[in-house]
Amino acid sequence: MPSLELHDIRKAYGDTLVLDGVSLTMEACEFVAFLGPSGSGKSTLLRIIAGLETPDGGEILLDGRRIDQLPPGERDVAMVFQHYALYPHMSVRENMSFGLRNARVAREEIEARVAQAAHVLEIEEQLDKKPGQLSGGQRQRVAIGRAIVKQPKLFLLDEPLSNLDAALRLRTRVEIAQLRQRVDAALIMVTHDQAEAMTLADRIVVMNDRRIQQVGPPMEIYARPANSFVARFVGSPAMTLASAVLLPGDGSFARVRLGDGAEVETRVVASGLPADAPLHLGLRPENVTVTAPEAGTTKAKVELVERLGDRTLIYARLADGLEVTAQDEGDSRIRLGDEIGLRIDGGAAHLFGPDGAGHHAEPAA
Amino acid sequence: MSAGARRTGLSTPALIGVIFGAMIMVAPLIWTLLLSFKSNADLMRDSATAFSGPYTLENYGAILQGSQVFRWLLNSAIVSLGTTAGVLILCSLAGYGFARLEFPFRRTLFVFVLLGLAIPEQAVILPRHQLFAELHLHNSYPGLILPGLVAPFGVFFMTQYFRAIPRELDEAAMLDGASRFKQFWKVLLPLTIPAQATLGVFTFLGSWNDYWWPLISATRSDRFTLTVGLASSQMNYAQTSGLGFLMAQAVFASIPILIVYIIFQKQIVRAMAGAAVR
Amino acid sequence: MRTPGSWRRFEGYAFVGPFLLLYIFILVYPLILGIGISFHRADLFGARQWVGTENYARLLADPVFHQSVGNSLKLVLLIVPPLTIIALALALALNRPTKTAAVFRGIFFSSSVLSVTIVTLIWRFVLTPDAGLVAKAMQALGRDPIPFLSDPNLTIPALAITTIWWCIGLPMMLFLAGLQQIPGDIYEAASLDKASRWTTFRRITLPSIRRTLILVVMLQTAAQLQLFGQAQLLTAGGPSGTSRPIVLYIYEVAFGRWELGYAAAAAELLFLIVLAVTLIQYWAVTRREPER
Repeated sequence: MPSLELHDIRKAYGDTLVLDGVSLTMEACEFVAFLGPSGSGKSTLLRIIAGLETPDGGEILLDGRRIDQLPPGERDVAMVFQHYALYPHMSVRENMSFGLRNARVAREEIEARVAQAAHVLEIEEQLDKKPGQLSGGQRQRVAIGRAIVKQPKLFLLDEPLSNLDAALRLRTRVEIAQLRQRVDAALIMVTHDQAEAMTLADRIVVMNDRRIQQVGPPMEIYARPANSFVARFVGSPAMTLASAVLLPGDGSFARVRLGDGAEVETRVVASGLPADAPLHLGLRPENVTVTAPEAGTTKAKVELVERLGDRTLIYARLADGLEVTAQDEGDSRIRLGDEIGLRIDGGAAHLFGPDGAGHHAEPAA
Repeated sequence: MSAGARRTGLSTPALIGVIFGAMIMVAPLIWTLLLSFKSNADLMRDSATAFSGPYTLENYGAILQGSQVFRWLLNSAIVSLGTTAGVLILCSLAGYGFARLEFPFRRTLFVFVLLGLAIPEQAVILPRHQLFAELHLHNSYPGLILPGLVAPFGVFFMTQYFRAIPRELDEAAMLDGASRFKQFWKVLLPLTIPAQATLGVFTFLGSWNDYWWPLISATRSDRFTLTVGLASSQMNYAQTSGLGFLMAQAVFASIPILIVYIIFQKQIVRAMAGAAVR
Repeated sequence: MRTPGSWRRFEGYAFVGPFLLLYIFILVYPLILGIGISFHRADLFGARQWVGTENYARLLADPVFHQSVGNSLKLVLLIVPPLTIIALALALALNRPTKTAAVFRGIFFSSSVLSVTIVTLIWRFVLTPDAGLVAKAMQALGRDPIPFLSDPNLTIPALAITTIWWCIGLPMMLFLAGLQQIPGDIYEAASLDKASRWTTFRRITLPSIRRTLILVVMLQTAAQLQLFGQAQLLTAGGPSGTSRPIVLYIYEVAFGRWELGYAAAAAELLFLIVLAVTLIQYWAVTRREPER
């Protein structure tokens, strides 16, 4: 049975449309990440699911029950806020039991649930402290605990990692992965960090410009981006998009020519492509490798060398001015200003039509 | 001069100036205190006898025995506490409403309230006296309390304070199933306690020391507040009571307010800081 | 949320409504009523007769009213500048984190919590020529006592001194709060630049507390224009009206002569004066504030 269903959600603030007919279906216990740049509507969508914003149109169902007309407290959802939103004047115990008391859960039941959650999250020692006496990591766990005790059908996490330092960020990632194991509920996490979404979620909902751009498992989003926005937004460093022209040919796969004249043989089925239209060739850094100047598909001049230890990223410029990101060995000798050759692995390249739609290589048989 | 010296040391002329000023501040108070411990007969002869004994408690005894000071003290306490409680309730409710709820004409009404800051008491006190007379509110506690409840500054102050509280807390409470009133009462209001203390102390002081309105509203001596009562005995002191008795009354009447001042010094200073930064 | 656009839109009125109702009933309505009364010949007991602007015309020609306006302005001039300067000086001297400074701050603020009746009670027996503290001090020095409360040349200064003594705490605290807003590193920079004390004060301290300074002057001017209790209790406006400020005049007309309409007109004029002074000062602030 599906867990959360969104049907054609619309929302506008005055004349500004922020969500334009968003629909989505989540499986039971699924972990979905809403990924997108700020202003993409992902936070608004989360707040609409929580009941903190009212949609202008559409329906929301949770476990088959329509919830969009219900107040937030009656929707069977719990939310972990970006800044935790712990009640500063209440002890940790009171913070965790406040929602249950409002729901008139029996006292013994409340105590049992709080004790259980505190045990699991290792905050038993902190139960009688105020949030102000806790460390950042402890506060985060209290916020998670406050959500867990409600035993909701859906957890909402609003940018849970965005205001943490690097060390705590890693810890919290583990925390969220564990939360996922512990609860029998679906989860939605809003984030603008594609790495977070990739590592944690079962499926990613990429949002931009008021709409869902693509929904799919992380590797599918990465390997078969639905359009050029998704292609650029997911993956770091970003995919290079090069203007390309389709060459006439008899083969079933498309051959294209780049702006500097280099030709690339792809494994994208040619018949699916619009004829006589400008295309973009999409190249992930790992599909562009460095060679001797005359040995590659094309030539470029190195503008920036980023040494990551296990590999080296080369930012180079082609003769026609296009910037390309390439990858080299960890012990690469390439230096700034070098003239290099680039070998483009056409078999892994993507093509994007004039409408931005992605066309991908046929998997090698 | 180094920054360190600025923070602690005080130059000699400045120190002398400060001490001289402090003496001017304190001398009248000590003088009053001395007079209050002298018998009226001694003072009739020469008030300079206050500088030497014998001192007596007879004036304070006289207060405890039959004067109306206790009655006035009680009236003042009821009026000031009533006003303070009322202002805190009304301003907290209105501050929350203006800060957190969306309703028709919200902005307009807020500006409308702020305009009240510019209206001096003189512009309304006579017609209000008429209005209250028609409603038979004079010489009553409601008559003394109601005018003090209209505190546009309090509404402004509380609105600003509520606005500074992160909205995430309201939203967390909503998700926790708290009703609108519960969000206000259980989640936000406890966080405004410092503001309540500040506003409360100021309202209390202002109400306790108010003179103009109780002077014209309370005309029966058993309805006088302490301020008005002391004024009445001051005006006819020559005929009725002695100087020492009058001064004992002054000291006696100052004690409650000085206690409040000493307890709430911190809030008072913080309120000053807030007012100045505004 | 359950039924969007229904009564929930008006939920806010449940919170702001109680205050607004009282505000209208106790402030706004009387304000309008007062303007109305000022155009009537009215007494305290409800008799009303429309007279148009007659009250205002009479006031503008009334020498007693003129005298009270003059007295109020004199009081403002004798109180506000010294009060501001002394308060600023005290704040500068006491703006340090020592215990002693805290004690002094407490002393200078303590008089502010007293009510006007206690203050006048105290000062009456400081100033009165037969039994007052000053008189006794003069006596000890072999001089004649000074008739502060009966000499027409001395009553207004006596009221001013009493008021300064009473009111010094608030502006001092405001200045202290303002001074604490100035970041310490500015002073360090100034001392590195070998700025003299006076230069530091004029170029750094004063501009930094500009807003506070103007706030203090505005508040005090508005407050002292409405000075009432001290005059009523210490001098009763005498002798022969030489120390009667506007509010005491209004009080006497309303509750002594029962000419409510006439008193209301005087109150409206005072309202206009206060408003004008406040607006002029506000205008002066906003006009010459280039940097912020």
